[in-house]
Parts: sequence; structure tokens; C-alpha cells
Amino acid sequence: METIVMAPAAGRKKADVIRFLDRLSLSFDPKVQVTVLLEEDGELLATGSRDKNLLKCIGVSPERRGEGLAAAVMTVLVQDAIAAGFSHLFLFTTPSNQELFSGLGFYPIAVTGDVLLMENQKNGVRDFVASFAVPDTKGITGAIVANANPFTNGHLYLVETAASQCGTLHLFILSEEQSTFPFEVRMELAQKTAARFPNVFVHPTGEYLISSATFPNYFLKDKSRTAEVNCALDLEVFCKCFAKPLHITRRYVGEEPFCPVTARYNQALRETLPGNGIELITIPRREENGLAVSASQVRRLLAEGKLEEIRPLVPEPTFSYLASLKNSPERNPL
Amino acid sequence: MPLDSLIILQEGTRLKIEKTAVAGTMESSDIMVTLSPGSVGGIEIELESSVEKQFGNAIRSTIQDVLTELDVKNAHVKALDKGALDCTVRARVKTAAYRACNCDSYQFGGQN
Repeated sequence: METIVMAPAAGRKKADVIRFLDRLSLSFDPKVQVTVLLEEDGELLATGSRDKNLLKCIGVSPERRGEGLAAAVMTVLVQDAIAAGFSHLFLFTTPSNQELFSGLGFYPIAVTGDVLLMENQKNGVRDFVASFAVPDTKGITGAIVANANPFTNGHLYLVETAASQCGTLHLFILSEEQSTFPFEVRMELAQKTAARFPNVFVHPTGEYLISSATFPNYFLKDKSRTAEVNCALDLEVFCKCFAKPLHITRRYVGEEPFCPVTARYNQALRETLPGNGIELITIPRREENGLAVSASQVRRLLAEGKLEEIRPLVPEPTFSYLASLKNSPERNPL
Repeated sequence: MPLDSLIILQEGTRLKIEKTAVAGTMESSDIMVTLSPGSVGGIEIELESSVEKQFGNAIRSTIQDVLTELDVKNAHVKALDKGALDCTVRARVKTAAYRACNCDSYQFGGQN
């Protein structure tokens, strides 16, 4: 038996993996960075791949199940992931494989029709969310999930409106580092501005909401492919792992006139949340001079160096930060 | 003599877990040990074992012993056990600890 690690898979071996997975009704994700192949006399018996901290495309030849081949592939994948600096790992598989991967150190997070998402931390999502519980909650508990890239007056308006209607408002800022501004900055600006509302609590989403694990195509560069937007897993995690323990009964979103992926996501929220006892409230966009305020517009103005035009669109902490970039252009992400 | 006295450490150095490291496999008769810097202070052991009922506590105490012998004070240990023998547990914990400390000043075989 031979173990081959390819980073990434290429050539004939890659074709072998694609064909092998196809026979198992699985598809190969071209984005994966590492692929492990287990071969015997040149024949592929098992495979698995990794995209950053996400293990996927894992399959074992049907004739060779029960021989520990999945464990062998997973061992290499996990060792390689840890060596690459990823210790909190996620895994995609089909629900029928839950038991197999439970025996390999993974724990279920959420399941939709054909996809099971697992992580290698026992009670990972439960402990993460439990740390956000607010004692003595009075009135309605609401939630907003935002990238805030960066935090604008549009976000402020959404937060202000929601906060006025809720006893407690949880504001989740996307942790995933795939945006123009780093998470640390987005989080800090949200916290500074939200500090004026005593009933607003700002949290990171961790890797659980709108992350590469739960909603891979949110970060697709080509946002025209909205038909492929698959956020079922993300909604399931929000409803079961976040809303339920935090008693969230309302989710607030801003009207989305620009981004088709977000618009499609909001549509999915509208279809899914009520069945889970959560009301979806859509707040119209705040307008400035007849134009809806958006973070993408702020980023565009920043790229064009039109700082003064940004001033009316963002809260003071965001403006100070953007203005400070002028003096240290090396920190300017644009 | 105890296995751990075979390790030569610079005088006064204490093993400090600096990063996450892993040793061992998920295969039968082995144990995969993942060591990370502790978050709560002290040694925290999270064990999943196929023989938890029979040997869970024995494995935990072996892990604790090895770390105590290495003078590791603060670590999170995740162990996935598939029926490893005691000597395997010891070897995997020790290897993971050294990797997690970026430490390579050990000698196999020890006293010649």
C-alpha cells in the first residue's frame, strides 16, 4: 500500500481521483490544496482532500471498506493540516458516514439533506455559542450577521433600528479572512460604534456562520453564479446552533439592492427562518443623497482617494480608521 | 530506568507548548495525540477511546504522567485512541510534546 500526498493533485493522478469519486457519486472540488491517495499496485483505493481547514472529497473503494483505509487517509490529512497550521478542522461528508467519522475524532455540527458538517472539537460550536449568552435577557432577542467591510452608516442604521425593537441584539461579525479589511479591524470598528447601544453585543461568527465551511460560495469571486448559492447548511447552523441556545427569535437584514449573492441569501432566510420560529425583518437601506449607503461604495471611494466623500457615509470610528490609512499606506488593503 | 530520563534537556529548560503538534495515527492499536497550548492553565485531557470503559482512566493517567515527567505544566491534549498499548501511549505523547515545543534536543537510546 502506498500513500501519496499531492499539493495540489495534478495530471493523471488527479484524473484518477475525479473518476474514483465519480463512481462514488462524489465530486472533486478543484479548490482543494492537498489530496491524499492510497494506492495498491497502482490502483486507487481511498482518497481525501483538504481546502484550508476543510476536509472533503473523502472516499473509500466499496470493495475495501472496513479495512481502516479511511483512518489511514484521515491520519495523513489531519497530520498535514496541523503541520500547515490548521488545528480546528471541519469535514464534509454524507450523513450515512457520521458513525465512521465519529470514530475518527470528528463531531457533528449540522446536517441538511445530503451534507453532514463535522468538526474535530467536541462541543466546539456549542461552547463557542454558549460564551455569548446574555444573562437576564428581557424582551425579544434579535440577531444581525454582517461582514461590515467596513462598518458604514448603513450598518449603524440597521443596528440602531433593530436595537430599538429588541431587548437584546446580537451582532455577529464574519470572522472569515476573505474580505478587504481584516477581521480584527472589522470587529473593532463594529464594537466601537455599537458601544453606544447598551443592549447590543458584538461577537465573531467564528468559522460557523457564512464561512468557507457553511457557505462556500459566499466568497466566490464570480458573483453572477447565484444559482449555485447553497446556504442550506449555513441556515441550519444559524437556526440550530446559534438561534436556539441564544433564544434568538428575530433576524434583521438590510435590503440588498447590489449584491446578488446576498440577495439570494436573504431570500433563503425568508424561506427558512419562519419554520424555525424566527422572524425575518428586512430594513430598507439608509440613503445618502439619494444613494443607498453600502460598504462596497465606501471601498470604491477609498480606492479613488475620495476620503471626504466617505465622511457622510460612515460612523466616526470607521472614518478615523480610513483616514489613518493615508499616513500608513502599507496598511491600506486597497 | 524510566524512559523519560533518557531525554537530555538543557539545564533548567521546561518544555513549553508553543504550537499545536500531533503524533500517532488513527489506525488500530495506535493513539493519535494532538497537543496544543493550554487555555485554562494546567493539563486538560480530552480522550476518545475505543476501549474507554476498560482503559479510559489508565490512558488518561499515562498521558498525565508523561507530561508531568516532561515538566509540561500547561497543555490541551486531544487523544484519539484505538486500543494502543501503554508504551505506545507514552511514545506518542512524548513525541507530540517535543514537536509542540519545537524541541529537538533529545537523544534516542540515551545512556551509551
